[in-house]
Amino acid sequence: MLFYSFFKSLVGKDVVVELKNDLSICGTLHSYLNIKLTDISVTDPEKYPHMLSVKNCFIRGSVVRYVQLPADEVDTQLLQDAARKEALQQKQ
Amino acid sequence: MSFLKSFPPPGPAEGLLRQQPDTEAVLNGKGLGTGTLYIAESRLSWLDGSGLGFSLEYPTISLHALSRDRSDCLGEHLYVMVNAKFEESKEPVADEEEEDSDDDVEPITEFRFVPSDKSALEAMFTAMCECQALHPDPEDEDSDDYDGEEYDVEAHEQGQGDIPTFYTYEEGLSHLTAEGQATLERLEGMLSQSVSSQYNMAGVRTEDSIRDYEDGMEVDTTPTVAGQFEDADVDH
Repeated sequence: MLFYSFFKSLVGKDVVVELKNDLSICGTLHSYLNIKLTDISVTDPEKYPHMLSVKNCFIRGSVVRYVQLPADEVDTQLLQDAARKEALQQKQ
Repeated sequence: MSFLKSFPPPGPAEGLLRQQPDTEAVLNGKGLGTGTLYIAESRLSWLDGSGLGFSLEYPTISLHALSRDRSDCLGEHLYVMVNAKFEESKEPVADEEEEDSDDDVEPITEFRFVPSDKSALEAMFTAMCECQALHPDPEDEDSDDYDGEEYDVEAHEQGQGDIPTFYTYEEGLSHLTAEGQATLERLEGMLSQSVSSQYNMAGVRTEDSIRDYEDGMEVDTTPTVAGQFEDADVDH
């Protein structure tokens, strides 16, 4: 549940999605699990020139390695507390 | 192209969502000719005029996108990145002599589908999004079945002095700043609602009630009932 709520709070923010094939894409988070990004830019355009003219993309969730989040958008203290709380609830 | 095969075009039985005729297919920059793209729930297929073509399984499609660059020699098109290797020659994929380093690297193949009807691109993109959502990966062992074994908070709390102290829930609450408390309530409010419902600010504390909490008043820990905060405006 927390995973969903957390990502919900990131919709509209800029993130960098690193895929398992090492491609990194920067864009505005539109939807998640399968990740839709708008206004994207590729961090390594030399390797994938075909992506240069792409504005929006749909990334299969299972090929995502990391989602890099802007540090000032995440309250890590809050996230720790909420995660701990959810873990306790799941144990019950 | 030896990987082109002859097969019947997908129909309603395969969950055909959209077929786009007069669409050129390009593989890694190499044109395959003009044919019809079939976006079906079971797979993505393309067949040229002679009935030869190929199919792509959605689990192998890493991403798809619309390219809107009209100055590109292809014009606007649907870009599809596939996690698979498409050999141009008939040699088997497992060739030990050449390019062993590729074994560790995920193969990437880029397809571009260029319809003559550019107004169809948006619908093609959307159809692919819908079909992709129908093909999740099979569940693996570290998904939702969290049984607490991966990270045992109690075990870490015993005799490990060099890691940061972990609080129990009640202790942790008193260490939250007023701002932290406010955002915790907000997140609790989000947790108690279903994902599909509108995010609302019902759980957010006002400035006054935040001050009330700073004397260590306990908060209800079970966010299962909507509107739980309605009766929590108690004066202390």
